Amino acid sequence: MSTHTNMAAKRKATDSRTETDAAKGRRRSPTRVNPALYLFPLPAVAIIAFFLVMPTLQAFQYAITDWNGFSATFNYVGLDNFVRAFTKDSLFTNALTNNLKFVLMVVIAQTAFSLVLALLLTKNSRGSILLRALFFFPTILSSVSVAFIWKFIYDPNFGLANAVLGGVGLEALQGSYLGNNSQALYWVAVTQVWFHAGQMMVVYIAGLQAIPRELYEAAEMDGAGRWQQFKSITWPFVAPATSIVVAYTTVQSFKAFDLILGIAGNPPKQSLDILSTRIYSTFANSEFGYAAAQSIIFMAMIALVTWLQRRLLRLTPKGE
Amino acid sequence: MSQISRRQAIAILGALGFGATAAACAGPGGTTAPGGATGPAAPATGAVTGKVSFAHWRGEDKAVFDELIKRFAALHDGVEVVQDISTSNDYNAQGLQKVRGAAIGDAFATFRGAQFKNFTEAGIYAELKGSKAAANYQPGLLTAGQSGQNQLGLPYQVVFPMPMANADLFDKAGAEIAPKDWDGFLAMCEKLAASGVIPISWPGGDVGNGGQLFNCMIANNAPVDDMCAQIEQGKLKCTDDWFLKMLGQYKELVPYLQPNATGTAVEPAQNLFSQGKAAMLATGSYHLAAVRGLGAKFPIELVFPNTSDGSGKFEGAYNATFILGVNSASKNQAASAAWIDFLSEPENAGYYANQTAQHVAVNNVEYTNADLKRLSPWLDKKTALAARFQFQNLDVRNAVEASATAVISGTSPEQAAEAAQKIVDERL
Repeated sequence: MSTHTNMAAKRKATDSRTETDAAKGRRRSPTRVNPALYLFPLPAVAIIAFFLVMPTLQAFQYAITDWNGFSATFNYVGLDNFVRAFTKDSLFTNALTNNLKFVLMVVIAQTAFSLVLALLLTKNSRGSILLRALFFFPTILSSVSVAFIWKFIYDPNFGLANAVLGGVGLEALQGSYLGNNSQALYWVAVTQVWFHAGQMMVVYIAGLQAIPRELYEAAEMDGAGRWQQFKSITWPFVAPATSIVVAYTTVQSFKAFDLILGIAGNPPKQSLDILSTRIYSTFANSEFGYAAAQSIIFMAMIALVTWLQRRLLRLTPKGE
Repeated sequence: MSQISRRQAIAILGALGFGATAAACAGPGGTTAPGGATGPAAPATGAVTGKVSFAHWRGEDKAVFDELIKRFAALHDGVEVVQDISTSNDYNAQGLQKVRGAAIGDAFATFRGAQFKNFTEAGIYAELKGSKAAANYQPGLLTAGQSGQNQLGLPYQVVFPMPMANADLFDKAGAEIAPKDWDGFLAMCEKLAASGVIPISWPGGDVGNGGQLFNCMIANNAPVDDMCAQIEQGKLKCTDDWFLKMLGQYKELVPYLQPNATGTAVEPAQNLFSQGKAAMLATGSYHLAAVRGLGAKFPIELVFPNTSDGSGKFEGAYNATFILGVNSASKNQAASAAWIDFLSEPENAGYYANQTAQHVAVNNVEYTNADLKRLSPWLDKKTALAARFQFQNLDVRNAVEASATAVISGTSPEQAAEAAQKIVDERL
């Protein structure tokens, strides 16, 4: 009763304001607000403009120069830096190839692994919660710590991996790991998956727990097996979560800069050089203009791969 | 207070965005450092007081510098020296950007080679020719800090990028510690292997430390002393016979390295040596303190892998680095120069040397550290200035050195050389 009275009073007050505005000869726009409100986002806008927008725009300008990072003078070189990256720089194309391979390996392995873990640990039992915490634990470590832990594991002389293999009589499988150029990237991919799979598992668990139980009960009554239930209920329902996992893992894998530098040193050898480490090496080599061009290619590559993934995997329902 | 519409707000934010864009369009480049336009000038004189930032990468030397700072401050009232230390990798990559403008690094150090060259081109060094400090250095070692007629930096440390040897293991194996030629070196390795130890511990998984062996391997193989500079300029090639011969010699070392050497980081390589499992550590004398810290008690010598047939020009390799300088943009050049003068005095340089187990380029220093004393004769031998620091382009340096690592991991010398030359050619 009192709610109705309040609403009526408010409506009356609004009507009387509108009448006053009309009497003054001006119509009040529904989008007009107190200008002080627009001051609130200004600090955030200023910070973003200064630290994000301006450097990004500057990168576009630097990318068409031969600036070395410290000279007062420079030359505009047009698109030469972009042409050089793709046609005259095998270190860049090698880093690009490595990065795409790394992304592919990590996205597939991490998505699959985190989904399997989530499926096994969806129930809120004590054991599941403990295991979830355990699998999530690497996520809270710093990437440098993770790099050093795995550097020790992979060391061929004192490392855990070879020690375990030797201990169980599998000396034949002992290897050089990061020292083997044809395998090094795979071993770093293993580290990356170990590092982040727990985090993605949490995203999947949230998605899985939102699926109504009734659907599974109905499917069971209809005689659907485990695989059919997964295919027809679980997978479609976790598609939005998969979309997040795939996109996030892609960006993460492109930017595995600190992990690579920690595990492979600076500069990393060619078999472990990815785009972000290559850009860093180019900056360190006092080729700021060229490094800026590489950075723009890097940005474009992440955007393109993420867009392609969403298109090809059709993970996002139409209209979203 | 008047009200504005959403459209007006968007217009305001758009104007801000346009302003940001315009600001972003300010071209790269910047002000030329004081020394850049007119050539370097000597540091300003004046009272030795105020704060001096000393930028360098030797975190392991912090305590020693702290003690020297204390002694310096005791001599000058009101002066304060603070150390701005980065890791060597960061310093190598970003040192110039950090020191430029002198927000930090009133006094600073640089690596020999590309970094010294970039600092020189950026006009960051003040002129130290004729300074009190420069007079204390061995003239032959000062060249690493010269650019044209200018003495811009003072190379403080002298290191020997040659394999360190466990003299006890050599004695036990009956191996000659100073082989005269390549056959002698291989025979020495063979004796060590026969005695049951790994002849050489080599950190092939660490580009920087693994590359030090290159200085020895190339010294007597190259036809000229500035071979790396000439490779970078395209005058010499990695596919030349002399370079292929060197890669062939790297291949001959494979049986004498620890298993999976290309995957070994520097710390495990040091451990193999300090635990007496390996007879040599193929990095350099700059790891003396580190291996002692790991518990090595045996006498340490240096071994030069002499690649010649006995007629080689050089008996070893050295590097003069940690090039001290005064920042031309510093607001406190008098105190900064005084700090460099102080470090360059024999007594203080001696303290630094003996505490950090590094030789220095300063004259009349008394080495009391047992390892330094033992290795001091190397200061008088005919050693080659470490060649890898002639490279000005780090991509070229890494590619050329990577050819040696590739050979050790099984690639043929010809293929490894071609791959390296391709990268050099792309950067000519």
